[in-house]
Amino acid sequence: MGPGIADRSGVTTPVRSLVVACASAAIIAVAVNAGAQESRAETIAAEQAEKATRLSPHVPGRSEALLLKAQKILLEQPDGIYPYFGSVYSGGGFTLGAGYRRFTGDRTNWNVAGMYSIKNYKLLEGGITSPGHASGKVGVRAIAGWRDATQVPYYGLGIDTAKSALATFHMQQSFTGGDVTFRPLKRIKILAGATYEDYTIKSAPGDLVSIEDVYTPSTAPGLGENPAYIHTTISAGYDWRPGADYARRGGLYEVALHRYSDRADTLSFDRLDAQVVQHLPILRENWIVSLRGQLQTTLDDADQVPYFLMPALGSGSTLRAYSSWRFRDRHSLLFSGEWRWIPNRLGVDMAFFYDAGMVANQLEGLSVGDLITDFGVGIRFHTPAATPLRIEVAKGREGLHLVFGGSAAF
Amino acid sequence: MHIRQLSAFATCGVLALMIMSALPSGAGRRFFDDDPIVREPETQDASKVQEWEIDLFIDLATNLFRRPSDPAPDDAARNVNTIDEVPDSSWFTNRILARPLSTAELVRGPLNGSGPAPGVWTVIAQKSAGFAPGFTVRDAQGEMWFVSFDAAGHPEAATGAIVVANRIFWALGYWQVENYLVTVNPDEVVIGPSSTFTPLSGKKRPMKRRDLDDVFRRAHRTASGYRAVAARAVPGRPIGGFRYDGTRPDDPNDLVPHEDRRELRALKVFGAWTNLVDMKAGNTLDTVIPSEGGRSIVRHYLQDVGSTFGTGANGPREYDEGWEYLFDGKMARKRLARLGFFIQPWQTVQYVENPAIGRFEGQEFEPAGWKPRVPTPAILRARSDDTFWAARRVAAFTDEMIRAVVKVGTYSDPAAEALLGDVLIQRRDKIAAHYLAAINPLVDFALTPAGRLTFGNAAVDRGRATPPAGGYRGTWYRFDNATAESVEIGAATTSTVAELQAPGPLLRTPGTFVRIDVSAVEPAPAPWTVPVKVYFRSTDTGWTLAGVERLPREK
Repeated sequence: MGPGIADRSGVTTPVRSLVVACASAAIIAVAVNAGAQESRAETIAAEQAEKATRLSPHVPGRSEALLLKAQKILLEQPDGIYPYFGSVYSGGGFTLGAGYRRFTGDRTNWNVAGMYSIKNYKLLEGGITSPGHASGKVGVRAIAGWRDATQVPYYGLGIDTAKSALATFHMQQSFTGGDVTFRPLKRIKILAGATYEDYTIKSAPGDLVSIEDVYTPSTAPGLGENPAYIHTTISAGYDWRPGADYARRGGLYEVALHRYSDRADTLSFDRLDAQVVQHLPILRENWIVSLRGQLQTTLDDADQVPYFLMPALGSGSTLRAYSSWRFRDRHSLLFSGEWRWIPNRLGVDMAFFYDAGMVANQLEGLSVGDLITDFGVGIRFHTPAATPLRIEVAKGREGLHLVFGGSAAF
Repeated sequence: MHIRQLSAFATCGVLALMIMSALPSGAGRRFFDDDPIVREPETQDASKVQEWEIDLFIDLATNLFRRPSDPAPDDAARNVNTIDEVPDSSWFTNRILARPLSTAELVRGPLNGSGPAPGVWTVIAQKSAGFAPGFTVRDAQGEMWFVSFDAAGHPEAATGAIVVANRIFWALGYWQVENYLVTVNPDEVVIGPSSTFTPLSGKKRPMKRRDLDDVFRRAHRTASGYRAVAARAVPGRPIGGFRYDGTRPDDPNDLVPHEDRRELRALKVFGAWTNLVDMKAGNTLDTVIPSEGGRSIVRHYLQDVGSTFGTGANGPREYDEGWEYLFDGKMARKRLARLGFFIQPWQTVQYVENPAIGRFEGQEFEPAGWKPRVPTPAILRARSDDTFWAARRVAAFTDEMIRAVVKVGTYSDPAAEALLGDVLIQRRDKIAAHYLAAINPLVDFALTPAGRLTFGNAAVDRGRATPPAGGYRGTWYRFDNATAESVEIGAATTSTVAELQAPGPLLRTPGTFVRIDVSAVEPAPAPWTVPVKVYFRSTDTGWTLAGVERLPREK
C-alpha cells in the first residue's frame, strides 16, 4: 500500500498509523499516570506499600555477628570455655591460656585452666570460688595446681650482682590450698589463707648454665633442697581505688604476713610485705601522679630462706629496666613513681615512670642512697577496671628493656 | 522494521510524553493539595515486626568508631513537611510551641493516672537494664510497673532527674513513659510465685527474699522509706529499642532513615539543654500497638531520659561528660602528643556540686560544643535548620515553666531545685542565643489577600538578637507548581519592620502559587541575609502557607 492511497475505511495508511499511534500514546500515558499519587499522603502510603513487599527481620552482618560472639565469650558467658590471660611465672614471656568454668550456685563456680608460655612455662590449675556470702562480705576460694617454670634466672644475692653471673634453674611447684576474704566495710579487706606448696628444683634445660654449676648453698641458700611448705597468709588492707587493676584515684595501704613452714623445718621463714599505693589526680584526672612504696622483709635473721622464694626485684612490675628475678635477697625495697596523662578516658593512658629499689641481706642494709633506678615511658590500654595490655620501654644501668604486661604496674 | 512503522512508534512515543505531561500528574508537583501534612501516614500493618535486642557493645562501638551513614552529610531532614515542620507520628507529637501548653499540662506530662495502686506490690521480675537498683512489680490492682531507686548515698539524684526530664521531653514532643515518684516500704513488697532471678551464674531461678534485700541494700533509704520512680508499662508489645541510623527492615511504615528524622537530629539541642549524655539504643523502646482498621503500628519511645543534668544512676557524672565523646581520636592524639597539656573547659569549670543535681552548670556551657558520650548518626547530621527548629522549642519554655517542671523532682533541698532551675534557664538562653541566630530566623509567615506578608523573627522575638538595622527584603515570584519555575513579579520590596508589601496585585486564582524570598538587609548577621523561600497557595479564602525552605534540601 503506497503513501496517500485510501484503504476501504477511507483513511489513508499514514493517517491510520497516526491514529493508532495516538491511541497507543493515550493508553500508555494514562496507564503510567495511574501509578502517580495525587497527594502527599498517597505518595508516602505507596512507598510504605512497596516496602511491605520486601520486609525482613534484622540479620546481623558478618562483623556484627563476630563482635557479638567475641563479647559473649570474653565478657558474658558465665559457663564454658573462656580465654585465660595471665602469667605462668614471672619471666615466662608471652603466654596463652584457656579455662573452663562451671557454676554450681548463684556465684559459686569451679574452674580449670591452663597456660603455656613461649619459654615452655606451663600452669595447670583448678579451683572453686564462692564470693558474695554474708551480704557480700565474705568470699571463699580453694585452689590446686601445678606450675612448671623451666628456666628461672638466678644472678646471686644482693644488689651488686653482675648480669654475667646468670645461672638458671628449672622449678616445678604443686600447690593446693584456699583462702577466705572478709570485707567488713567496702574498702577494708582482710584475707586469711593457707596453701600447701611443694617445690622441686631441677637443672636448667639444654645449654643454659645451671645454677648448681655456678653457685653453692652459701651463695644460693637452699640450693639442692626441694622443700614443701605450709604457706599461711594473713593480710589486711584499706583499698579505696575504683579498681585494683586500673585506677586514676584512690589508694591502697596493705600489710601481709607470710609464714612458710617447711615440713622438714630447715627452711622455714616468715616474711612481711607492706605496700602503699597512692594515685593523685591533677586537674580532674588530666594527669595522675601514681606512687608506690613496697617493702618485703624476712622477719627473723636466723631463718634460712631458699633462693627461689627470696624477695626479688626486676620485672615489668618492679624494676622495669631489669629482667625478671634480677636482684634477690632477704629484704627488698621498691619505690615507683609515675606521671600519667590520659589521652582518652575510655581506654588509653600514657606514663613516664621512675623506679628505684634495692635488695639487701639485712633490713638495715636497705639504704635509700644505694637504690638501683630506672626510668621509662609506657602506654596502657585499659578498661574501666583492668589493664589488659601495658607496653613500656625502660632504661636502667643495664640498658633498655621492653615490657609487655597484662596488668597495671601497680 | 519498516521505516513507516518506526515513524509510527516514534510518533506514538512523542505523543505519549505530550499527553503524560498534559495530564494532572502528582509526580512533578512541588506541592500536593494536602501539603503541608500534619500527620505522617502509617498505612501498613506492622504486627509482624520482630523483637530486636540491639546489643549495647555493638551500638556504642558502631557509633563511636564506625560512624554509620554519610560521613559528610548536609542533607535536609526527610520527615519534615513542606513548611519545614515535623508532622505528628509514632515518633513525635507536636506540643510546646506548636500549640499553647499550660504549665499544668507540662507538670503532668505523660501521666494518665495517679501511679501504682496503694497496697502490696508483687515483684514479678528483676530489673533487666541500667545500673540503678530496681525491679518489676504488679501493684495491688495487677498493673505492671518498672521501679528504680536512687543509689545508696545519692538521695533524690536519679529519681529527680528521671521525673523532671520525663516531663521536659514529653513537652518537647517525644513519646514518654508515665513516671511517678513513689516511696517504697520493703514490708509491702512480696515476691510473686513466678518471679525469677538471674544471678552471676546466668542460671535463672525463682527469686528469693535475699535477692530483694540486695536491691534495697543498693538503694538509698530515707526516713520514710525508699524513694523510687515507678514507670507504668507502656501499651503494646515491646520489640526492643531503635537505632539512630537506618530503618527497621521489618517495619513497613519506617521509611525515613532515622539519622534523617528531624526529631532525632534535634536531640543535639535538647540533649545539650538537659545534658542527656546517654543516647544509646538501650534507652529507647519500640512497641507494636493497635492502630486504625485492625492494623498495628510501631510506636517509638525515648524511654529513658534519666541520664540528664549532672548525675547518673550511681553518682555524679564524670567531669568530661557532656563535653567530650567517650572516644575522640583527634582529641586523643592531641593529648598524647602534648603530654596532656591540652586543657579543655571541662577541666576548669566550677560546679555548684549539689548531691541531688550533680555536675550541671550553665556558665561555661557552649551549646555547639556539647557532646553526648557517644555520637549518634542523627545528631551528627543535624543541620542549622534542624537545630533552629529544636532551639525554638527550647526557647518556648518560659522561666515559670522551668521552675514548675523542676518542682516535679520534689527535691527536699530547696537549693537543689533552685540550682536545677537556674542552670536550665541559663542553658536555654545560651541555646536560643546560639541556634536561633545562626540561620535566617524568620518564622510564622502569613500573606493577606491584599498582598501583605507578615512574619516573625524568632531570634529577635525571644530577645536573643536585635532587629536587622537594614530591615527586610522580599523578592516576589509567581511560582508554577507543575514545573517548579519561578517568575519574578516586579521589584523587590523592603521594610524596616517584619512585614512586606507585594510590589503589585497578586494573581489569585485557585491553585496559583507565589514564592517570596525573604531576607534581612545588611547590616545584619550574615546568615540572615540568606533568604528563606516562602510559598503560598491561593485558596478561596486567601493565601495559605504551602512551603518554607530555610536551607536548600541537599548539599
